[in-house]
Amino acid sequence: MLVVRKHHFLVRCSHWLNAPILLGLILSGISIYWASPIYQHKPDPNTGNTDVAADIGVWICAHVPGQHHYSSPPDWIYNHVSLGPGMLALALRVHWLCAYLFMLNGIVYVAGLVSGGGWRSLLTRGADLLDALRMFRYYIGFPFAKVARRQWLHPVSSTKYNALQRAAYFSVPVAGLLSVATGWAIHKPMQLHWLAAAFGGYNAARVWHFWLMWIYIFFVVPHLILVFADGWDTLRSMIVGWSTRVERPEVLANEQ
Amino acid sequence: MNSEEKGHSLQGKDTTSAGVEPEVKSVSVKKPQSFLGERPLPAIEIAPQILRYRSRRDFLVFGAGALAALAGAGFLLPQETLSRIGIHRNIDSPEKEWFLNKAPRIDDDVAEALYSANRSVPTYTKSQITPLKNNYNGATPDPGYISGWKLTLDGLASGLSISLDIRNLLTRFLVHEQITRLVCVEGWSAIAWWAGLRFDDLLHAYPPISQAKWARVESSVNLDASGNPDPYFMSLDLATVRHPQTLLATHFNGQPLTVDHGAPLRLLVPVKLGLKNVKAITKITYVAEEPRDYWAERGYSRYDGI
Repeated sequence: MLVVRKHHFLVRCSHWLNAPILLGLILSGISIYWASPIYQHKPDPNTGNTDVAADIGVWICAHVPGQHHYSSPPDWIYNHVSLGPGMLALALRVHWLCAYLFMLNGIVYVAGLVSGGGWRSLLTRGADLLDALRMFRYYIGFPFAKVARRQWLHPVSSTKYNALQRAAYFSVPVAGLLSVATGWAIHKPMQLHWLAAAFGGYNAARVWHFWLMWIYIFFVVPHLILVFADGWDTLRSMIVGWSTRVERPEVLANEQ
Repeated sequence: MNSEEKGHSLQGKDTTSAGVEPEVKSVSVKKPQSFLGERPLPAIEIAPQILRYRSRRDFLVFGAGALAALAGAGFLLPQETLSRIGIHRNIDSPEKEWFLNKAPRIDDDVAEALYSANRSVPTYTKSQITPLKNNYNGATPDPGYISGWKLTLDGLASGLSISLDIRNLLTRFLVHEQITRLVCVEGWSAIAWWAGLRFDDLLHAYPPISQAKWARVESSVNLDASGNPDPYFMSLDLATVRHPQTLLATHFNGQPLTVDHGAPLRLLVPVKLGLKNVKAITKITYVAEEPRDYWAERGYSRYDGI
């Protein structure tokens, strides 16, 4: 049977390990955010609340069906997308644990990329901007074409990833690196004050760290949709490492 | 989905590949490439039963890993969080505490390794000063204690217990000024203008016992939220005590400390989290073993170097 080796064993390990580690980091991170939110406003005259995340919780409880009788609307966000409010000490411990695991996992990932040679597939190419736009157009148009029962052709790509995938798979590890760097900047703002300064100071580094989290969230949603849309071979290849989609490398080999 | 995956890979007859030479051969054509250029994925010809065997092994390995991660997460999550998602079984255990404590211990060791006696923290100008509110964890003490206030020093080489009032301290020691950032464990920070004596100068004037490695800094006037006495105590390593920016502050924004900010003497240790900056210090004891720490006993880290 003819198969291609697609993902190195270490890349597969670190890929799956990212799921629980990032989940732990985000849940504990939002619990830490609760202690001193970066987005605050002047105290509300009625409740004294200053936290924008608490406002969102109050809004959800007022407008989302089934949430009207929620016992503590300002805690809605923290009760649903964090370990919980009022547990800073524990959230910090979970956050450090996951943060050290995340850094170790990053080393495993880089080791896998280097020993498997997979890093080359992540590098951007000359025509990538145009190709990425073409892929974007394809993804956006796909559901409409499906509904209209029109033919909707996948742009031709002779490489492991298309330009949009390359951009995503390159950006996410860079975001990981920046999350680690901003994390250290706000964790050790005195001993590593040069690092905090590189992100515009301690307070700015906190804002960076917060928004970098959103990159993972914005990445994971289409990532999951697309892997299921793409089919079993793609999902399986991240577990077993091989793929039966052999024709592409053959084409590539003949072209060169 | 896990069982589905396993079911898929287990389809077909069981393969007994023992003794069979792995039939794996590379079929891709190697061509000279530039260093950065993408290579075609290496294609291999492999016997179906070997592929099945390896795939089954990988599914089992990754499936076991997923179960282990799920069990680990369930084991580590706080009881409050588990209750919220509908798991009411109490799985708090000493092992969980041990494991979760390991992370701040490692992090404390890292922080200690990062510390350098020669590295100064950034200082700011008066135009960069930001407001600093009263951050007493409990109620603010009644200012009545200030008139009779004395600082007691214990664990000294002389074997004596020394009592000093604020006048002794201000006349005896040189006052230093600094505008530094105070960083709270909660995440907020404030740039403030402080003045006071160097802790290191006090250490030289009243040397500790030779085996001392730690200072226990405490305030007996602190109150809890309902106003009952709640003495505050904190451990500080002597390396940090000796840092030139570690002050026993007497002034804030050019004025003597108010009760809100720990009159008449507070610790200002910008290389540590705010919770180490004890207000209204009443006693300093030098000891050989790491002393108790108010917030470490409440689940926070001990060293707290930043």
